[in-house]
Order: sequence, then C-alpha cells, then structure tokens
Amino acid sequence: MPLIKHIATASVPPALAPAPASAGQCDTALLDAPDAAVRRAAAHVLGDCPEAVPALLRALEQEVEQPVRSAVLAALGRTGSEEAAAGLASCLRSEDAWLRNAAIEVLRGLPAQVATVIAHLLVDWDRDVRILAVGILDTLRHDCVEEWLLQLIEADPDVNVCGAALDVLAEVATGAARAPVERLLERFRGEPYIAFAGELVLGRLARSR
Amino acid sequence: MTETAISDDDFQRFREYFYRRSGIQFEPSKRYFVDKRLVDRIHATGSTGFRDYFAMLRFQASGAEWQALVNEMTVNETYFMREDYQFECLVQSILPELAARKRRGEPLRIWVMPSSSGEEAYTIAIYLLERWPQLADFDVEIVSSDIDTRILAQAQAGLYSQRAVQQLPAAWLQKYFKREDGGWRICQMLRDAVAFTRVNLNDPREVDAYRGFDVVFCRNLLIYFDDASRRQAAESFFDVLRPGGFICLGHSESMSRISSLFRVRKFPQAIVYQKPLEGL
Repeated sequence: MPLIKHIATASVPPALAPAPASAGQCDTALLDAPDAAVRRAAAHVLGDCPEAVPALLRALEQEVEQPVRSAVLAALGRTGSEEAAAGLASCLRSEDAWLRNAAIEVLRGLPAQVATVIAHLLVDWDRDVRILAVGILDTLRHDCVEEWLLQLIEADPDVNVCGAALDVLAEVATGAARAPVERLLERFRGEPYIAFAGELVLGRLARSR
Repeated sequence: MTETAISDDDFQRFREYFYRRSGIQFEPSKRYFVDKRLVDRIHATGSTGFRDYFAMLRFQASGAEWQALVNEMTVNETYFMREDYQFECLVQSILPELAARKRRGEPLRIWVMPSSSGEEAYTIAIYLLERWPQLADFDVEIVSSDIDTRILAQAQAGLYSQRAVQQLPAAWLQKYFKREDGGWRICQMLRDAVAFTRVNLNDPREVDAYRGFDVVFCRNLLIYFDDASRRQAAESFFDVLRPGGFICLGHSESMSRISSLFRVRKFPQAIVYQKPLEGL
C-alpha cells in the first residue's frame, strides 16, 4: 500500500535551526550568514528577542533575498516593540514599494506601538508619507483612529491626503466627524473628489442609527 | 427591547469591511442572511445598534468578536468532497507535476491544516487511491494537524454522520466505509494511512517540526486570523514546503493578499499557490 503513515517530526537540519532566543542570547550575527536559509531561520528566532530590533532593522535595509526580508519583517512585527514600529515607520520613505507596503501591513498589526509614531507621520513634510500613514490607519484596531483622522482633515493642506482620510472615515466616522467633514468640504470647495467622499461620509452619518 | 435594523448604508459599510478582511463578498441577494446574523451578534454582544457593534468589531484588540462573526457568516461544517475541484486539481495537475520532479523512492508528502474532524485528509487519501494511477509508483504521506486535540481524536476514530458523507459517490462510500452506530465508520486501512498530529500554526517553534512537504491544504482557516497571524502563517507555510511545493487555500482566500512569497499557479481545475522552485 503506497499510502503510508509517517508522523511528521523530522528534525530541522541543525544549520537551519538556531537555538531559541533567550534573554541576553540573541545571536544577531546569523543575520549575516552566507546561507540565506540560515539568515531566514535566524530572523524567525529573533522575533522573540526585542534587543535584536536594531540588527533586524539593519538587515531589512541590507538584505537582498526576498524570503529573508519577509522573515525579517515578520520578526520585527513579532517583537512588538516601539523601536520596531519607529524603524518600520521610517520605511515609509523607502524607494522600494514592496518595503513601504510591507511595513504598512506590519504596522497595522501593532496598534499600541503605532500610537507612539503616528502623530509625527501624519504631519510629515512629505505628503506621500502622510498618505501612507493614513493607509496604516485603514485597518488599525485603535480607539483613536477617528480622532487622528479628524485632526488630519482639520489641518492638512493637501487635497489627496484629505481624500485618503475621508476614504477611511467613510467606514469609521461617528457623529464627531460631522463638523470637521463639513469644514473640510468648505475648505476644499470645488474639489470634486472631496465633495464626493465628504458627502458619502455625511450621508452615512445622517442615515445611520 | 427596540427592534434592531440594518440600514442600506450599514449593510454597505459592513460588506466592504468584511470583504476586505475575509475575502468573502456578500451580494445584495444575501442581504437577509447577513442582516439576520448581524442582528444576532448585536444582541449577543449587548451592543446598542449597528454603529456600536461595528465600532467594537472594527477596533476590538483581541479580535474575538471577529472570530465569532466569521463563524456565523461562514459554513463551519466540513464534509467529504468539500470544494472537490481542488482534489481534482491535486490528482490531475499538482501531483503529476511534482511526481515528474521526484527521485525514485522519494515520498510525496501532503499536510492538511487544520485537520478538523478528518474529512479533508481522508478525502485526499480516497482521491489518491481512486483517481491517481501513479500512486502505484510513489509512497505518499498524509499528515493532518489541528490545534484541538479533541477534534483530532474524533478524526482518528473516523465515525461520520450521513450528512458528512452525502457528497461521496455511492461506490466510494460502500468501498471505504461501513455502517456503525447510526453513522459511517471509515475503514481501518484509511485510518492507518493518515497521521493526525497536534500543532499550533501560530507558534513558529511548533511548526519547526514540519518540513519537507510537497502540498499543503489550508482551507478556510486564514479568514479567521488577523493580518499579523496570516502573515506568520504564510511564513510558516513557506518553510514547511519544499521548493516548488504547492499550497491550496479556501475558495475565498488569496495568498496574494497576504504575502508575496508564493507564485500564483492557474491550473484548469483551480488556482493554487506555489513556493518558487529556485531560491530557498
């Protein structure tokens, strides 16, 4: 019978299985190993080691193998540290579209840590960074999402940034959004997208119970 | 108690959000189905109305309500031959491609995660026996894993209701099952052919023991996960698979929305995902 039972407990080849990280024993040197599989395995282990965040961020900049970069990003997310969130936030300036988008995805899973960096991102001098920061808020599970978006639409001079914020508000807005959205419509009178998205938010608020 | 109603705007807002998070699209024709379950959850959570409930669903840190809601909105039961086009894809496209790369004597390894009560793993075993003549030339290992040890014990026992087996062709039912205790017991040969193991997919260290698989079936599990857990699962599957190995997800799930580690493969029977042959 060629269907055979085999309990899958085959051990990982030792070279690919660095010892589990423990306090004070985060071997970040393996992130520079010549074998990409070892670097990837090391990144996975270092996700349990907040002290390794600077090394992981450095690896994110230097690493060229996509599966290793992916593991480094996942590890940074797993550390759950504010330092990791700050490092990932700086990736929003990257020329690398994959890195920008991947950083946003990871940051969306770190609501408490994002709270420590989002205020700066939402007033960044670069409007592209502000738009990407709104993208973080898109699915962020944090009580202040609406408040941050309302502060943004009250002050931001850029029509595209405000349009992006309205897109998210269409889903999360409460009665508190009514007046700020009305003021935004007034401020950008004549901008067709703002009119469309703003009316959508107000319409939903008016009809919502 | 005032009657809770879901307005057109509420429905629209909800379906956009649900689609974005789960990949499941509710057409307007499903309105009654969606409304009824939403109202049930609004009452069950003590929410004052849709807005209150939606805010909780959207921002709850634990994600517990999301899981409860997905349970309500999806078909939780599993049964033999569920989404059988993927099993067709397995025997007609995936396995022949993998077999062409295998060295003589090298086994083919299939991982089913989550196992649930075993219907999927046993369906694969039956499909291989009935529909894949090359089975005569290969050893195939089927490992079926779940986080829940009770459901694994149930899978090993292999006793199923009439409802669970109703999609099976009568000939297969007669061949591989026998009537027992008001249900259908799968034969000992098949119970011996599948290894059931406990694993937590979200714990990379537990998944470390699972390596060298050629095919992973992970259907209708990732819709329950938050983004970070999905990404972690994708990382784990990448390491679980051999280069060139395949992963089959549920019909509403898309690996492309989770990770760029895999390539999309469009076969005549189904779309699946493949770990690149080259590289790690």
